[in-house]
Amino acid sequence: MNIESIKSQFPIFKQETPLGQELVYLDTASSAQKPQSVIDAISGFYSGYYANTGRGSYWPAHKATTSFEAVREKVAQFIKAESKNQIVFTSGTTDSINKLVNAYVIPTLKAGDQVLVSEMEHHANLVPWQEACKAKGAQIKAIPLTDQGALDYQGLNKLLQTKTAFVSITAISNVLGTVNDIESIVEAAHEKGAKVFVDAAQAIAHKTVDVSSWKADFVAFSAHKLYGPTGVGVLYLAGDFVDIIRPLLYGGGMITSVSIKASGYRKGPQRHEAGTQNIAGVIGLGAAIDFMSEIPTLDLHEHLDALTSSVYKSLSSIEGLCILGPKKRAGVISFTIEGIHPHDLSTFLNEHGICIRAGHHCAQPLMNRYKVPATSRVSFGVYNSETDIQVLVKSLTEAKAFFL
Amino acid sequence: MSERIKELYQEHILKKSKDESLKGVVQNETHSLEAYNPMCGDKFTLSLRIKDEVVEDARFDGFGCAISKASTAVLTESIIGKTRDEVAPLVKDFLELIDENGSRNPETIFQDDQLLAFEAAREFPERKTCASLSWDEVYKLVK
Repeated sequence: MNIESIKSQFPIFKQETPLGQELVYLDTASSAQKPQSVIDAISGFYSGYYANTGRGSYWPAHKATTSFEAVREKVAQFIKAESKNQIVFTSGTTDSINKLVNAYVIPTLKAGDQVLVSEMEHHANLVPWQEACKAKGAQIKAIPLTDQGALDYQGLNKLLQTKTAFVSITAISNVLGTVNDIESIVEAAHEKGAKVFVDAAQAIAHKTVDVSSWKADFVAFSAHKLYGPTGVGVLYLAGDFVDIIRPLLYGGGMITSVSIKASGYRKGPQRHEAGTQNIAGVIGLGAAIDFMSEIPTLDLHEHLDALTSSVYKSLSSIEGLCILGPKKRAGVISFTIEGIHPHDLSTFLNEHGICIRAGHHCAQPLMNRYKVPATSRVSFGVYNSETDIQVLVKSLTEAKAFFL
Repeated sequence: MSERIKELYQEHILKKSKDESLKGVVQNETHSLEAYNPMCGDKFTLSLRIKDEVVEDARFDGFGCAISKASTAVLTESIIGKTRDEVAPLVKDFLELIDENGSRNPETIFQDDQLLAFEAAREFPERKTCASLSWDEVYKLVK
């Protein structure tokens, strides 16, 4: 993998930070930077063939619709879905989860049912389920984690002894980088008759989302973590859920017929996509998938694994620094330094051109589990290199000298 | 080392952030205020004894960054012995001191170095909530 050539495709790295340094971006788990091809695809749509999709019979409308629908096919191939009809566009992972919960979970959940999430869930994959349980008098329970930061699979099996309606789990922890064994989780849950939702927000950029092997019922991700634009995401619906579940949203474009008293709804993904879509966003997502498809998956993993092991090793040797979670992980490292609050550290590093994340990472139950109020988090993307790690480690040493 | 960062984390602030002399709970507490920033998880509890409109004693406890810790410590120290009517303008002044859009020159707001140290927050608007966290809660009480 030629990092220099990849990095050169991201215009943000061509400029200096306001303080005149090179940008060291280590917060891809929060949101990835954008390659020129994604930016061009979006502006190309607006300047070259802008029109609404699915409506007009004039040429820009036709081209916009064809381009928009072609992305549905691209997404299906990218995550190995059987059909492009299983791909519904949303505004992001959070939107996908909320819409699924409102349209399918709440209407089917019964009082006394059990819903399982895990202690490592992002708030986005926890709060909507809590609300669903509250609305229907169902029980929400957390699959425990081991002290090492892995999912406790025995704990899961124990919980599954009680009748469970839904299991909702992240594929990769946004704090610990823990990679969950989705295939096993889905198998165990399905055996007990539970439906499974997988939060693939982090996994998507690792190109490890494979819905055909996972066999989960629902999977969601956002384009912006895949080097695509903000405000667009995907909800994958397995089998023929797409035609069975209630529409995710009601309005124009999703109906077959409408009268004052009642309406009929379309089949397929259009059933769920009411109103004008984020067309530019979807077209940008298509360009992001093209960009990621150019990078061989094995090379991508080798690159991210090398950076992760390297930073793990470097950070481990810093006195007073404590890393959360397992050694084997996917491109995300959370840590604390005794005596330095993560926000002070991130402000300090920002002055050196380094962007890291500080806080609870929208995962307060996880923070409570490991008894840390906040952590600093470093995460990698396709543009990061060993040089970034060297700059980070040097600045961390300076931060210790400054604060302690 | 950048000058900006040295400005923000002046000796006063770093020192104050480690000062635990006012940590704890006051005897015969009359007010307990929770200052919490859900965006970052920083949380302080201010323990006050207010009698006849006078803050007779104040203590604090909690978790936060150097700036929020130092600002809470300075706040606690500054309000002991003051009347409600004295605390309100003090807090208002402090909130202006750290506000990037504050109209008054910092030196005309405060002469006390402990308080003036926070003026650098004007250069770091993303850290303003750290400096204001506990002060905002006290303001709600005395305004």
